Amino acid sequence: MSLLRPISVRTRLALWYGLAVGIALIVYAGVVYAFFRASMLEQLDGRLHDDYEAAEHAFERAADGGLRWTSDYHDPDATTVEAPWVEVSRSGGPVLLRKPAASDRRDAPFRTRVYTHRLGDEEFVLRVGRSERGVERELRELLLIFALCLLPAVVFAYLGGRVLAQRALAPIGAMTERARTITAERLAERVSVENPRDELGQLAIVLNDMISRLERSFDQLRRFTADASHELRTPLTAIRAVGEVGLGERHDEAGYREVVGSMLEEVDRLSRLVDGLLTLSRGDSGHLKLDRRPVDVVGLAREVTAHLGVLAEEKRQSLTVEPQEPIFVDADALVLRQAITNLVDNAIKYGPEGSAVNVAVTATREEATIAVTDQGPGISDEHRERIFERFYRVDPARARGGVGLGLAIAKAAVEANGGRIEVRSEVGGHSTFRIILPRSSAKV
Amino acid sequence: MRVLVVEDEAKIANALRQGLEGEHYDVVVARTGEDGFFRASAEVFDLIVLDVMLPGRSGIEILRALRQKGSPTPVLLLTARDAVDDRVLGLDGGADDYLVKPFAFPELLARIRALLRRGRPDQALRLQVGPLEMDLVTRRVSRGDRELHLTTREYEILQYLMRHHGHLVSREMLAQDVWKETARATPLDNVIDVHIARLRKKVDPDARAPLIHTVRGVGFVLKEGAP
Repeated sequence: MSLLRPISVRTRLALWYGLAVGIALIVYAGVVYAFFRASMLEQLDGRLHDDYEAAEHAFERAADGGLRWTSDYHDPDATTVEAPWVEVSRSGGPVLLRKPAASDRRDAPFRTRVYTHRLGDEEFVLRVGRSERGVERELRELLLIFALCLLPAVVFAYLGGRVLAQRALAPIGAMTERARTITAERLAERVSVENPRDELGQLAIVLNDMISRLERSFDQLRRFTADASHELRTPLTAIRAVGEVGLGERHDEAGYREVVGSMLEEVDRLSRLVDGLLTLSRGDSGHLKLDRRPVDVVGLAREVTAHLGVLAEEKRQSLTVEPQEPIFVDADALVLRQAITNLVDNAIKYGPEGSAVNVAVTATREEATIAVTDQGPGISDEHRERIFERFYRVDPARARGGVGLGLAIAKAAVEANGGRIEVRSEVGGHSTFRIILPRSSAKV
Repeated sequence: MRVLVVEDEAKIANALRQGLEGEHYDVVVARTGEDGFFRASAEVFDLIVLDVMLPGRSGIEILRALRQKGSPTPVLLLTARDAVDDRVLGLDGGADDYLVKPFAFPELLARIRALLRRGRPDQALRLQVGPLEMDLVTRRVSRGDRELHLTTREYEILQYLMRHHGHLVSREMLAQDVWKETARATPLDNVIDVHIARLRKKVDPDARAPLIHTVRGVGFVLKEGAP
């Protein structure tokens, strides 16, 4: 098989096809040959029996006590090779009579039958024979015919197989051509599906799905690159502008401090951005080293709300965690805490003054859910799908601090821990972000 | 105090020299790994600030060579990559501390101070900055004759500021040392600002002689007089 590998599928299929037809024909020919040969030999045996019946009364006792052929017995085709041959002997004794008398024709392939015949009180052995040459010739002709037919049949089958394979594979060729034209820049195109129910149609559908996924991730990547360069450029532009303007004007010391401080603030924003991107890229490349062990998520949630509680207090929001009892999951505590922190931070940020932020941990046998609910403005459908994308902001005009990576980092953190993150929201109502994690197997 | 700075990037090297000289350290700068190793072997320093990514010999190689020669000088590694491997490699190689670039200069100063202080345990039971007093045993804090009632967190922040009084303290330092938060992407800045604002209300109720100052773009400093 490995030798055949470099040949095209079409040729391979045709070869297999030819081979199969060849084998079928050989088997067929073998069977026919065997039957034919058996029936020819049976016929020959019938003629030998006839010969015996003709010969059995054709000899008599001669006057000298020997044997002789009766006068009316004669061999009808004595001159041909095909003529029968008859021998009479006493059992165990020498040959007494032979016809045709001249030869003892045992050279050729010969078929003999031996009979016993009683003449008077004496028993004689009759040996009747006929040449098998005729049978052999006919069998040889049959073989020749088979052999002559086999080669064209196999060639024909091969060529037919090629045509069939070509027709069957033509859509693949078309698909190949089509797929070749679909590049990163032209991902909107699709392979055409001729019959969605056959194998090739299925292949085309799978290909199209793959291209769709590629298109989506390319889109995301493109947006991400554009957004990232925008986000990186904004603080750089600010640093540059503040620096240039600051240098252009005369200031007192406090003025210069102001200029440098303002530049440093932007540097801070830039570093934060780079840190966030680094965290995400480490998650992307799978370099996030996780230390997963049983963690009490209720405890984690309490830790987070204790940290961020002051922010809620500033906005006179109530920040609550339910329930009291610990619920354990297998997770990296640091990474998971970051995800919860980002969600709670968002909830406080987007919830109005005096509203409530609730962190509810619930558990089933398999999963634990951490639900962070705010009473913010809610998220409309168009934003909900993309809210976990990097730099995606529901309201670009009102970017509320941060760098727009919080939810993306939360998502990456949860997924790294084998969980998933969801959002449910009503416009003008509440938003609930859910972190769903598999339960810990160990009960502590 | 003599400090050797091994750093190939001219701007960073100069900034480090100026900044450290401003803090009254005696600074020697080496711009290549070979030069750094030569100087570290030939002269006596109280501390070495060592960049990991150097042309020629890497900082970690130099560190290993120095430690093999039995040099006890504390080494602070500067790593450009926020890679765990680098840190592990550095700490295994005998580094006393590390700092990830880009670092905040106040943090570098704080680390240097901590390394130079090492071996001399802090026996203080009381901290005092001007009129501000903190009793570390009874956890009582007072400004002048007025006692301050602080939450645990506020107490910890004030203690940190008092220990670093006169020096800049960045939000990152507070997040790391007071909140014990290692992930830099965690949004604690707002939290810190709220706590500082509350602390300031208690420590500096009148704006005439404030002790806690905000240095724009950098962080905070606790000191008497102007920042």
